[in-house]
Amino acid sequence: MAELSPIERVTRFFNREPVDKMPFFTGMGMVLAPAIKKLGYNFPSIHRESAEKLAWAGIESARMFNLDAIVIPFDMCWESEALGNKISLYEESEDILYPTIPTKNWTELDQVEITQAQIDTIMDTFPMTLIPDAIKICKKEAPELPVGAWQLGPFTQCGQTIELDKVLKGVFKQKEKVNEILDSFSDLIIEIGKSLQAAGADFITLREPGVAADLLSPKTFKEVIAPRLTRILGGWKSPKVLHICGSTDPLTEMMWKCVTDSGGQAISFDIKNNIPESRKKLGNDALIVGNYDVFALPCAEETTVEMAIEGMKANIDLGVDAVWPGCDLWPDIKEENFRAMEKTAREYKVGPTAAVGRI
Amino acid sequence: MATKEELFEKLKQGVIDFEEEPVIEASQQVLDEGYVPLEAIMDGLAAGMQVVGELYEKNEYFVPEVLMCADALYKGLAILRPHVPKDGGGVNAQVVIGSIQGDVHDIGKNLVKMMFDVAGWDVHDLGRDVPLENFVEEQLRTDSEVVAMSAMMTTTMLGMKKVIKMIKEKNPDVAIMLGGAPVTKDVANLFGADGYAESAGNAVVEGIKMIGRLRDMQAK
Repeated sequence: MAELSPIERVTRFFNREPVDKMPFFTGMGMVLAPAIKKLGYNFPSIHRESAEKLAWAGIESARMFNLDAIVIPFDMCWESEALGNKISLYEESEDILYPTIPTKNWTELDQVEITQAQIDTIMDTFPMTLIPDAIKICKKEAPELPVGAWQLGPFTQCGQTIELDKVLKGVFKQKEKVNEILDSFSDLIIEIGKSLQAAGADFITLREPGVAADLLSPKTFKEVIAPRLTRILGGWKSPKVLHICGSTDPLTEMMWKCVTDSGGQAISFDIKNNIPESRKKLGNDALIVGNYDVFALPCAEETTVEMAIEGMKANIDLGVDAVWPGCDLWPDIKEENFRAMEKTAREYKVGPTAAVGRI
Repeated sequence: MATKEELFEKLKQGVIDFEEEPVIEASQQVLDEGYVPLEAIMDGLAAGMQVVGELYEKNEYFVPEVLMCADALYKGLAILRPHVPKDGGGVNAQVVIGSIQGDVHDIGKNLVKMMFDVAGWDVHDLGRDVPLENFVEEQLRTDSEVVAMSAMMTTTMLGMKKVIKMIKEKNPDVAIMLGGAPVTKDVANLFGADGYAESAGNAVVEGIKMIGRLRDMQAK
């Protein structure tokens, strides 16, 4: 059989059908500095200027380094901006800085209100309008590549619109209000995800980094967070992935239950997860991805190509089913390291992984 | 009239139970009844926070509980600290603290700040989303012994390396503390930092251990 195209490889991967070689991609932020430099873009301009820039920054990042997917968008401020907050693009900075929300309009939980009208119209509100357009451009211009979209989970998204410490304390002090807010955000996230899928996204990742077990108790995760993650994932089409950053070892089984109860496909962890233990807990049917260090391997000045290759091998030896980073890829990669990582991912082990066979 | 021990216990328990009112009452009583405010801070508020750290380490408390305990502690500190004389046995040291440019998260930073506040340091809090050069300028302006920086995202932590380089070039004796979810021991070493805390909770644990050491020193 001829080599699979990236879209065939990723589609088969999520279907747990045999693939030709180890998939090398991500469902989280992925825009790479060498690619945008080649395009002649500067970093602040790729986020909000136009759907074209957003799309091409994603396409070129994937093509230049032979990744199996494009991911759109790159920063975490879209929804908060659409809800009325101003963002900072750091246009004056010489460093690569992602957009942030310096000041949030809502300062207390009691002020937070998301109306049905806002949910119904959010995709018609700038800047959300750019994302589906960018996805459509990617589908037209790079048909060989699948497009991954993502959404933050309700707890983390809530923290993008009001200070996270208020939300954390509110879990105890204003339980009902927090539940109400999380439900509203869940509705919003479902609608946005559906729109991104309707625009052509081939897979979607739900990212909830604010709920790891070094922040919230597993009990709170089970009672407050997990039901909403399940509902959101259940509201979307497959393929879908759940990712949580930070300490996830105590949450592994609950996270996987969110995935399976909602008809999802894969679970993604960051570098703090003990992948072999997670594999033991979840079994060989679970599609497990993630865990490689997005700074130490591709970016750190001190990391040689040989060290990056060894790091990649170590990640694969842990038992992941695809090579997928533990977090957003940092744009300022060392090209030689990242190319060596991709090559290693494809060539190191040619046999099947725990959950995915080989052609 | 409450005894000193009773009041200190009330402060301690108020912090542990994140009950602000008893802490406020007991703090005022400490002043009204002429007890030494610094002792009340160390043996009441800080002692309570030490227990909170233990509960966190045992996974009985998580960050929301710690934040509420910190709120209670600050209620007491606001009443007691103004009555601690400058030369009253506290630590005579300064720290510059802030979240790095591009990062608007400050939970970890604020918890570490609490540790320095309790210990009686002069804290120069630059807030969050702090331009890199501001750390250097503030350290030079205040001649602070410690600079503490936090980043909650991988995408921002690289700025810390530049700040460390800039500060160490000008003043190699400054101790640099790094904190935040993406910061590992390896990263801290690579960046040339002197200490690190990997998460807000870890910062609390490390900070509380430091408070414990300060309490021990105070007791000698």
